Amino acid sequence: MSLKNLLSAAAVSVALLSAPVALALEPAAMVQILSVIDDRQRNGGDYKAHIYLEQKEKDKTDNVREGFVYRRDADDKLMILFSKPKTEAGKGYLRLDKNLWSYDPNVGKWERRTERERIAGTDSRRADFDESRLAEEFDPSYEGEAKLGKYTAHRLNLKVKPNIDVAYPVVKLWVDKDTNNILKREEYALSGRLMRTALYPRWKKVFSESKGADVWYPEEIRFYDEVEKANSTIVLIKSVDLRALEANLFTKAWLESKSR
Amino acid sequence: MGQLRLLLQVAFRNLFTSKINILIGGIIFFGTLLVVVGGALLDSIDGAMSRSIIGSVAGHIQVYSDESKDELSLYGGMSGEPDLTVLADFSRVRPVLEKHPNVKTVVPMGTSSALITSGNTVDLTLARLRDLYKKRTEQGESAALKESIDSVKAHVRQIVALMEKQRANSKVVLTDAAVDPMEVEALARARTDEFWNSFDADPFASLEFLENRIAPQLPDGDLLELRYVGTDLDTFQRTFDRMEIVDGEAVPHGKRGMLVSKFFYENFFKLKTAFRLDTLKQERDLNGKLIATDPQLQRWVKENQTQTREIIFQLDPVKTHQAVERLQKVLGSKESTLDKLLPEFFTTTDENFDTRYQQFYAELAPLLDLYRLRMGDTLTISAFTRTGYVQSVNVKVYGTYQFKGLEKSTMAGLINLMDLMTFRDLYGYLSPDRKAEIAELQKNSGIKPVDRASAEDALFGEDSGNTLVAEAATGIVDDSKAFEGNQGAVYREDQVARVYSQEEIEKGVVLSTAVILKDPTKLEQTMEELKQVGTDAGMKLRAASWQQAAGFIGQFVLLAKLVLYFAVFIIFVVALVIINNAMMMATLQRVREVGTMRAIGAQRSFILSMVLVETVLLGLVFGAGGALVGSGVMTMLGSSGIPANNEALYFFFSGPRLYPTLSASNLIAAFVIVLVVSAISTFYPAFLATRVSPLQAMQTDE
Repeated sequence: MSLKNLLSAAAVSVALLSAPVALALEPAAMVQILSVIDDRQRNGGDYKAHIYLEQKEKDKTDNVREGFVYRRDADDKLMILFSKPKTEAGKGYLRLDKNLWSYDPNVGKWERRTERERIAGTDSRRADFDESRLAEEFDPSYEGEAKLGKYTAHRLNLKVKPNIDVAYPVVKLWVDKDTNNILKREEYALSGRLMRTALYPRWKKVFSESKGADVWYPEEIRFYDEVEKANSTIVLIKSVDLRALEANLFTKAWLESKSR
Repeated sequence: MGQLRLLLQVAFRNLFTSKINILIGGIIFFGTLLVVVGGALLDSIDGAMSRSIIGSVAGHIQVYSDESKDELSLYGGMSGEPDLTVLADFSRVRPVLEKHPNVKTVVPMGTSSALITSGNTVDLTLARLRDLYKKRTEQGESAALKESIDSVKAHVRQIVALMEKQRANSKVVLTDAAVDPMEVEALARARTDEFWNSFDADPFASLEFLENRIAPQLPDGDLLELRYVGTDLDTFQRTFDRMEIVDGEAVPHGKRGMLVSKFFYENFFKLKTAFRLDTLKQERDLNGKLIATDPQLQRWVKENQTQTREIIFQLDPVKTHQAVERLQKVLGSKESTLDKLLPEFFTTTDENFDTRYQQFYAELAPLLDLYRLRMGDTLTISAFTRTGYVQSVNVKVYGTYQFKGLEKSTMAGLINLMDLMTFRDLYGYLSPDRKAEIAELQKNSGIKPVDRASAEDALFGEDSGNTLVAEAATGIVDDSKAFEGNQGAVYREDQVARVYSQEEIEKGVVLSTAVILKDPTKLEQTMEELKQVGTDAGMKLRAASWQQAAGFIGQFVLLAKLVLYFAVFIIFVVALVIINNAMMMATLQRVREVGTMRAIGAQRSFILSMVLVETVLLGLVFGAGGALVGSGVMTMLGSSGIPANNEALYFFFSGPRLYPTLSASNLIAAFVIVLVVSAISTFYPAFLATRVSPLQAMQTDE
């Protein structure tokens, strides 16, 4: 061993010894955390949720809606359909493969949208309602521990994997050490600019017959727009139903039939 | 009297004797010419611009709510749409304004803009096919329907074949990593006979496969910003009589509908290749540009050669065959593929351009849809309302229109007209009922308001009451009745057929009203009075002149005028200094003459008058000459017109040519200015002349 190598080995040992008490997680352990987060929210069968959305913007009346989210995780299918206020009833989104379609019964027309679509004009995106796919979409790195109110959290830095289209390519996650639930999520543009912050203060679980285990969901999510600082969105998942859905639910024809 | 005659005699005698007088005369001559021509041109442009703005949408005065945060800006502001408070009920505002004796007509308006998105060629073709299958499901099979379905299906099949060919070509440039195997697989499946043979077994599933797996492989469709004025179309057309329908027809009385501006239609809805050919022709014919020398023209030619996909994708197999035959004949070529024939055909030079242009419209155009939007088609417009909800409406396009004289003006040409009912739908005004419904939803949500700055403490702190583990009851979400009462399809049909009464049109939200005056010269006074009339009737109204309402364009008009007036002012200051200096020299040259006159008894006042009368006469004679020549120039320009050879000038000239007129006031103003300037510049030299003493004169050397 040369002197140079010896010196660098010494430097590394010093660095390691003086590191914070919480040791960095191994990549495998981090991927494991992401898989747990994904897996806990996934249901083997179908998923239906009653949601509430509220968008606040500067100098504007609040944009408020209620609606339903339908998921068939096995086939990667998603539909969001609004029911209230009355003028919004029947408007919705349908995700099929990589396509996000939007539909408005008042005009009877389908339009293809992108991952960056602000769902119903709010600060939420398609992925916020869809099945969680963190392990599949991102590569994690460890940034240490942090306190968040009464919780202690792992801070993970996620970078999107190549050839995957997501709304934000860089994500920072605060994951509760005890429960493995997400507490906070910061999303960045490729340039490094903070675009959106999300807080998840309440989590709930419900037993799924089809999965044979619990399915977890955030009861409340608060999104803060970091570009238009005055804008924010609250999403409530009021209740979740895990019974099987109609077979042909995730088709354009089904959505159209709702407006006849 | 005798003295005046003497003074005049002296002045006439001196008029042409001195070189300096000729110089001064020359300056006065050109000064007058400039004032006459410049003044008349300025007035004519000002008049034309006012006509452009008043006659297109603004009217003389725009009245809107005084509670508005921003100023009204009809052509859109620098930072998007102005924030205006609505006039909640036009039927209440109209009678109040019409009571004023100087008000001729009141037109309701709402100006805004929206985006129109359209999918790519495959999306549009598939949407057509989906509609046909839906029709078959509802009405049953018919021979005509089957034929239409088969034709569109053949077209889709051809597009898929073209896409695969392009993919094969692009393989050369793309690395393997950039090729998505899912896309390749989907394309391969859509090429098989098996797929097309079993298409009708489950047409909607087949369509979804094409819509979700094939269509996204093409680049995105178009995104277009559409600016519109919602108005009572009948009253609008009666009031703004420069408006004329070009294609199609006016929107029938009381119906929903839209008139697209002809300029906008040509620029944004026409097949790009055809539009480029039109522009090339115009640049060559009107502006005398040549493809050989002008890089912009060369770029258009190049784009026509390379961007042929829009044409190729549009043609179904039968038409493709026809197009190939026609191009072969025209070009005398044996080439059998369209993607080789088209670039050859569009290789235009100054020599062959006119022939090719004519051939394009005679041979190719009949096979193509020259416009993406045809008269009678329905356009889907989506707008973000003031409340954040997206509102989409279908509106039938009845025709195109233009303002006479403003055909090529970009500013006037970007405004499209629609009925008030459609405008109100897009605007999404929150009625009290809707407000109450939203408030109820918010109340039932049970959300605790949290301040953003302290959100983390409030949501994650010990006192938050929030927990990360809670058992949810096995939920039953009942959505069976959630969408009941949603009558999308019924609503769509009802909109197309319904005829609204005048009362329905007028009773409701507008953003502003255009007021046409009987006597436009009393504009300022009427504006003040209209505000008062509003206050008396319990409405807070704000009035803006056409110039203010035109927003930055109005400001620009004002600025242009100021710059021109300032330039004229500077020219006169310079003239004043030159004339003054010249007069000084002239006076100093005449020290002997003046001295002698003083010696033989001329009073100082006589000397003063002499110099003044001389200059005034100089001014009159040369000024008259300048005015005469100026009038001649104006008469010439007035009959031949000044061509507007770019789009901005079109707006300023209010048409393709400006025919300036000369008014008596221009001539009088010119004379007054010239005389005042020459008199002022003479005072000091004349005063110096009176100071000359006979003694001084006699001591002066020759």
